Amino acid sequence: MQAMREEMRPLQSRGEEDAVEVEDLMREYRTRSFFGGVSRVTRALDGITFSAHAGELFGLIGPNGAGKTTTIKILTTLLTPTSGRAKVLGMDVTKEIYEIRRRIGIVYGGERGLYNRVSAIDNLKYFADLYGVDPSEAKARIPKLLELVGLQDRAAEKVEKYSRGMKQRLHIAKALVHDPEVLFLDEPTIGLDPAGARDIRKMVREMRDQGKTIMLTTHYMFEAEELCERIAVISKGKIVALDTPSALKNMVRDISVIELKTYGATDQYVDSLKSLPNVVRVVADLSSEDQVIRVQTPMGADLLPQVASLLPEGAKIIDRTIKEPTLEDAYLRLVEE
Amino acid sequence: MISGIGEGGRVSGYLSRRLQVLKACIILTGKLFFADPQWIIPSIIAPFVFTLVAFFLFNNQTNTSTFLLYLVLGGGLMGMWGTTIYGSVNSIGFDRWNGTMESTLAAPIPLSWIAMGRVLFNTFEGVINAFLILVIGFTWFQVAFGVISPVLFFVAAVGTFVSLSAFGLMMSTVVVLTRKGGFITNSMEIPVYIATGTMFPVSLLPFVALPFAYVLAPTWGIEAIRNATFAGYSGLGLGYWEDMLILVAETVVYLALAFVLFRRVEAYAKRNGNIEEY
Repeated sequence: MQAMREEMRPLQSRGEEDAVEVEDLMREYRTRSFFGGVSRVTRALDGITFSAHAGELFGLIGPNGAGKTTTIKILTTLLTPTSGRAKVLGMDVTKEIYEIRRRIGIVYGGERGLYNRVSAIDNLKYFADLYGVDPSEAKARIPKLLELVGLQDRAAEKVEKYSRGMKQRLHIAKALVHDPEVLFLDEPTIGLDPAGARDIRKMVREMRDQGKTIMLTTHYMFEAEELCERIAVISKGKIVALDTPSALKNMVRDISVIELKTYGATDQYVDSLKSLPNVVRVVADLSSEDQVIRVQTPMGADLLPQVASLLPEGAKIIDRTIKEPTLEDAYLRLVEE
Repeated sequence: MISGIGEGGRVSGYLSRRLQVLKACIILTGKLFFADPQWIIPSIIAPFVFTLVAFFLFNNQTNTSTFLLYLVLGGGLMGMWGTTIYGSVNSIGFDRWNGTMESTLAAPIPLSWIAMGRVLFNTFEGVINAFLILVIGFTWFQVAFGVISPVLFFVAAVGTFVSLSAFGLMMSTVVVLTRKGGFITNSMEIPVYIATGTMFPVSLLPFVALPFAYVLAPTWGIEAIRNATFAGYSGLGLGYWEDMLILVAETVVYLALAFVLFRRVEAYAKRNGNIEEY
């Protein structure tokens, strides 16, 4: 937690190498009643403080509604904070809006953000013009970007004919068209098949290697672990941990994980595992034929006889492995505490 | 892999940046318009049908070529108006339901310039629509083009074009503000046809409706066009240059209001966090 405390220092005491600086940032959403009065106030961000260094690939992970997208929206100048301060490249997100926008790129996850009825080239030309890229520069840059994202052969086709993965790659090209210094990637692999997601991760690494600062939000723990140098875990609008992936995993080094591949396991079996003494947490996916149950416990292999004894009739354990805790195990502990 | 993509390479200068954005928005709006045939019906077919119906209604009841010319001009202006208001509002509304509103707002240029590019395309499309209606009137119905002052007619037509663009720009702010904006602005289409006097003189309107007609710049544009077309036209009782003066003054007010409103609704949308809702 030393690193987390270090991040909590006030903005003015940090070095100039921070590309993103956030201090005590708060954002509330107000729902208004029919007659105009405020009927409900939801606090999406509750005083978060962190910074991302220049050239760093910084992750922001958390459950749905934790405040990840709100943070990204504020940092990309699309949302006004209720209070607190945020700076990108040393500029205040509420004051130097256009200068920040010129120097950042945003990659949205999902289907948003592209004109589907025109081609990839039309999309890139349009956004190059909106970002003030010199037309001769854009003419040289767009083919390179299309090659980078592997769309050069289908660049003249309408985007509506693209697969989900191709659209996501075009999103990345769009975000790079004005050669930004900082990139915000908001769940860039959401809904992609494994191969498509792998391609995107490869591109993200390449962008990092180019020296760009990247802020990534994701639901996929292995993705955050694979890509990010540091990760902030956000839950209910607060940052509950901020450290390197290995340091975060160390937070749960007191436990090991029994991973079971089962056949015929039931929800009742999972509940009975949860009620065992010395079981910290049970995460189960029984929805497919390849059932996987992960049992977090400080006992390690010593718990296996009890686990096996509780199996219902007709069910069986196909495989069992004792594993080191992953980032997901650390994440679950952090967000559930 | 992106080595070779140089830093910088940006267009600088206040005017050149804005002209670049206007051009980009005009081109994109045009491509999106032609890629989606659904816009052709409200933008081109509907005003055209209105004009034809008016022709068939009145063609046999009068023999005066002046009246038919009045009708042709009215139909043309109706086409321009319909196309401009419908297209302008929906070109920004389109971003809301297409999911591109955030991308558009995230650009380093005031939204008003993006909207203006789109409105310009739609107004230009309205001019084409008006031109087609006039051509049909002059060829099919053989209406004589007896304009007394072609130069003043042209100036008034350009002024009306600009005023319609300014009005469309102002109205498009409503769509940024709320997803219900399309409903509000679309419902104005027919009342404005009537209030601006496209098909009959504004002086025939009930007294209470006149203030509404007076604050609409196209009303004065149409008056100026008719003053330049018909000898002895009285209309609202003002001369050509008075009509033009009011047209210009109201257009300037629209433009100023549009830019102020865009700044405000952008700030409002950012405060409320409802940009991407549709």
